[in-house]
Amino acid sequence: MALDLTKYLSLFVAEAGEHLAGFSGDLVRLEKAKASGGPGMAQAIDSMFRHAHSVKGMAGSMQLEGITAFAHQVEDLVDVFRKDPGRLDAAAVDLLLAAGDALVVMVQAAAAGTNPSPDLALQGRLIDATRRRPEPRLAAEPEPMRPSVAPERPGPGEVEARDAGAVDLQAEPVRAVPARPEPPRPEPAARTVRRVEAQVEIAGSCPVPAVRGFLVVKKLSSLGTVTGSAPSQDELRAGRIPGKKLTVFLETPETLQTLERALSQISDIAGVVLRAAELPQAQAPASAPAPAAAGQKAEGEGSRTVRVRTEILDAFLDAVGELILATARIREIGKTLPVASRAPLDEGVDRLHAIVKDLHDKVMAVRMTPLALVTERLPRAARDVARRLGKQVDVDVRGAEIELDRAILEELADPFLHVLRNAVDHGIEAPHLRLLAGKPATGRLTVHARRERDRVIVEFGDDGKGMDPTKLRAAAVARGAHTASEVAALTDREALLLATLPGVSTAETVTDVSGRGVGLDAVRKTVESMGGALELESSLGQGARVVFRLPLTVAVQPVLLVRVGEEILGLPIAKVHGAAQVGLSRLDRTRGAPVLAYDGELVPVHDLTRLLGLPGDGGDERAVVVAEGAEGRIGLAVDALLGQQEAVLKPLAQPLDAVPGLSAVTVLGSGRPVFILDVPRLLAA
Amino acid sequence: MAKRVLIVDDAIFMRNMIKDIFSGSGFEVVGEAANGLEAVEKFKELKPDLTTMDIVMPFKSGIEATREIIKSDAKAVIVMCSALGQESLVMEAIEAGASDFIVKPFKSEDVLSVVKKVLGDA
Repeated sequence: MALDLTKYLSLFVAEAGEHLAGFSGDLVRLEKAKASGGPGMAQAIDSMFRHAHSVKGMAGSMQLEGITAFAHQVEDLVDVFRKDPGRLDAAAVDLLLAAGDALVVMVQAAAAGTNPSPDLALQGRLIDATRRRPEPRLAAEPEPMRPSVAPERPGPGEVEARDAGAVDLQAEPVRAVPARPEPPRPEPAARTVRRVEAQVEIAGSCPVPAVRGFLVVKKLSSLGTVTGSAPSQDELRAGRIPGKKLTVFLETPETLQTLERALSQISDIAGVVLRAAELPQAQAPASAPAPAAAGQKAEGEGSRTVRVRTEILDAFLDAVGELILATARIREIGKTLPVASRAPLDEGVDRLHAIVKDLHDKVMAVRMTPLALVTERLPRAARDVARRLGKQVDVDVRGAEIELDRAILEELADPFLHVLRNAVDHGIEAPHLRLLAGKPATGRLTVHARRERDRVIVEFGDDGKGMDPTKLRAAAVARGAHTASEVAALTDREALLLATLPGVSTAETVTDVSGRGVGLDAVRKTVESMGGALELESSLGQGARVVFRLPLTVAVQPVLLVRVGEEILGLPIAKVHGAAQVGLSRLDRTRGAPVLAYDGELVPVHDLTRLLGLPGDGGDERAVVVAEGAEGRIGLAVDALLGQQEAVLKPLAQPLDAVPGLSAVTVLGSGRPVFILDVPRLLAA
Repeated sequence: MAKRVLIVDDAIFMRNMIKDIFSGSGFEVVGEAANGLEAVEKFKELKPDLTTMDIVMPFKSGIEATREIIKSDAKAVIVMCSALGQESLVMEAIEAGASDFIVKPFKSEDVLSVVKKVLGDA
């Protein structure tokens, strides 16, 4: 009985999809490298070869013969260019792109449970292109090409035909010491890294030997890479350290003396034996330790990964969210107990809270995924749109290594694509118009990402013709979204945001690419629903920028709870600068609205009771929370501050999601639902 | 020169006790804090050579405070004051960057020995 392959199918689909995305990304890079004279070409071709080769191997293991044969053909053609990059022309790139797309379609068909056959016409073209003899004037190779011969040697770093779908678990067990000499690998730079085995005995008098042991492991890991320990860190965490003895395996550039000195600073250690398990042949002078091997660490981590379905991660996060709520609920119940019996419960709940918090951090860390997941396909998409429209664009992606929560990333795929297409379609001019305007014929798109405190900023910029606020005003009026006097009152910057209203577009022609005005409003909604913000900037004739301000994670955020009348409301701590107790009547009102002097700044103060239209009057003595508004700090007068809490934020359902000024809802330990305020949009409400 | 110490504990009697241990032994207690929030503020203001940190405190736990202090000064020397039964919390504090820990109830010799070692004076 054959292996049940269906259980590997989703993994195959995911992994093959990643390889194919990489393949088409490489192609676009390759085309660019070729245009700029060649540097990077060989690298891109090698990488493409590896991607095609991996897909072939994986499909073979899945017994998907059609995909295997087609991928094999693609691999052959890439191999031709690998040997003779001079033969690569635009037609070949188009052919390979089409082949890559065909593979994507086939993989999707496989996901649906079929065993797809290749497009024979396309396969024929691949074979023809592989067999075609080099053009006479380019002929560099005397011997004819050998078609359809599977290359023997995979590219560098390639894992030969990975077992399809098999969990990619290559975690190495704790290395035996002394370790066998490793096969030579390209060293990034000469450095002396030792393998050290540290045997540590904890003093018999120590009441918590496992914690001591844990401290030893942590101390050593600050001086190198801990590759293993006995007992393991998890065992230490569970309090197990048989015989109060610990062995730690470490790779470190530090000298034994340095390690010994570091360990001597830890108390309750009865004895330490350090042994260098393996020394490089040429021992560098001990006085010149190499810097911590960050690159090497990353390399080692790469081989210790495991693939997990994203739904499992989602379920994890949900479960942890429920745990946090349940913990808060127990804490609330504890408050109803007599004071005398409360202390042990509180201590237990504190501990539970700490553990759950830690678990949450770890789950969030696992969910963090580099932006590259969604930016990788942007250059290809831009190229496709540009070609269709007879335009030329260059896409420069930076900061793709920045990590975001997977849930946010997945939401971003379509908005990013939309903004990019918009820029190519409406922003970048046709080459002749660009030349007339004194710009280079090739338009430039930039996608730059960066971290800013707890936010990730992704900026899409182009050097096209920019957006015209006047036209947008007219379009908004024509669409009936605003009256002429309303739009006339808007600043140019505010007018740009009209482009995000449903149905408002200034595109002169509606193409199949964009211009129907259904896009930016959806983009803005998506971004705001995840707690982010969208900004538009434009300067006529010089280009436009679309700025995404995104939260790192969703779900759990610290909030400040405040009371206004009978209502309890939450403010995201990230937006809160501080608070002050003030008498409203004593505030300076010389400029009309009352202002509070806070941190060397005059902050306008708004009464939250009135802002939200709540009944009652909180009186004169109020707490004022200073928070980040849309344009600088604002003060919000509330009746009382109730404290800080970790809140599991749930998005608002219809129709509440349409209420500006509210961003989410959470449930307190008491079971009471609490709205989270969207401070920047509160005043616009 | 006497090493400068910041003492963080929500119980006054604990702070006094720790203060007495240090004062008689060539250390200078430069500040006290009664919760994690205060601890972070005082640390930034005083830049002590050593901070003793209780774990369970109101407003902000000693672990959170340790994490924040280490973020602002990776070289900060923080010794956790823990009780038996708080092992996992101590390990969390160590992950957050604490240099060492002492277990209550403690004797003054023990405290001084741990502290001197961790400061490299032993």
